[in-house]
Amino acid sequence: MNTPRKAGARTGRAPGLTELAAERASGALLCDAGTVYLQGGQVVHAESPVSPGIEVLLTAGGRLTADSWREAMGRAGPAGGVGRFLVDSGRLSGAELEICHLGALFDAAYFALGHGSGPRGFQRGAAHWLGPVRPVGAAAVERETRRRGELLAALWPYPRVDTEPVVARRPDGRAPAVTPRQRAVLALADGVRTPARIARELGRPAFHTLIDIRRLAAAGHIATPRSTGPAAPPSPRPGVPGHPALPARSGARPPLPPGRGPTAAGFTDPDIDLLRRLRDALEATL
Amino acid sequence: MANTQTALKEAMTSIEGCLGAALVDYTSGMALGTVGGGNDLDLTVAAAGNTDVVRAKVRTMEQLGLQDAIEDILITLGSQYHLIRLLKSRGSQGLFLYLALDKNRANLAMARHQLRRIEAGLEV
Repeated sequence: MNTPRKAGARTGRAPGLTELAAERASGALLCDAGTVYLQGGQVVHAESPVSPGIEVLLTAGGRLTADSWREAMGRAGPAGGVGRFLVDSGRLSGAELEICHLGALFDAAYFALGHGSGPRGFQRGAAHWLGPVRPVGAAAVERETRRRGELLAALWPYPRVDTEPVVARRPDGRAPAVTPRQRAVLALADGVRTPARIARELGRPAFHTLIDIRRLAAAGHIATPRSTGPAAPPSPRPGVPGHPALPARSGARPPLPPGRGPTAAGFTDPDIDLLRRLRDALEATL
Repeated sequence: MANTQTALKEAMTSIEGCLGAALVDYTSGMALGTVGGGNDLDLTVAAAGNTDVVRAKVRTMEQLGLQDAIEDILITLGSQYHLIRLLKSRGSQGLFLYLALDKNRANLAMARHQLRRIEAGLEV
């Protein structure tokens, strides 16, 4: 909803984040799965349709009412200083705003800059309504995006659980216990909601929800979609070196050819059971 | 009203023997801010790794059926103390403060006391 208009300063070849940071550019980098806002080459904010915006995180967590959020938007939105307004008017502490802002920024950047999402254009001079809160170096954003992809792959190397509707299943008795946070995710796993929608409804960052989803899938509490193999080794891609993260859109990874993929339904997948047993054995020796 | 960086700097200057401090998002393992550290102590790596420490303890408490919350976790090395203090967050995000202290210079009781004060200043 807040994505700047795509007309205007679009050029033939879209510049990457590193390039824009090097030339200290200011504006909005439009990517397939989100937008990254820069000021003087530093990342000041990011948004993605996959991740809940800072307004969702603040209001769902009960820190702000929808009314006080609307008031802040109305009074400071047009001038691009909503963040400053929230702190100056005593609605949030500086630390609270920063923490929530960084949470939203890195969450959206993970999808906007992650695997399967490339730059589409740069709108020079575009600024976000939040205004400057705490700028982050482009290198730090890219490093964290990479780390997040690796973390998910290490938890359970099936990226399709990130985008498919979440199906709860009854695990065997040896499955690890579910944490209260994960219980809230499981309660919404109705076979219709996707992880992105669950994150939005819970008012949690999307990446945090993916961590819960992957852990729950690894433990057998959530079905792992069939015809999906473990993530292939990361293939080098220009702009996103060695990034094994999830595809931000479903269908980015082609299904395995017939006859080569697992043939049973997801939850009886011998491949997955083997992996689960292997992981249990490895954990037992730690 | 402090922002995260001033709170961390205060930890660094007011806590005797403090080698480094980080404010860490518990779920993602990302350091939201760091001070100190250096070549001997990569605080972003420490942040990510110590989320596993917290998670393991939370899980153990659940298995034991302990209906309680962790205030802090102390890890004693030969030459350092590592102190993890979980923040009682008003929002939905779980955070902890991570502190590395020089064992010879640090006063553990004082460090714990200061950490509580810094947590209050963060107002999260």
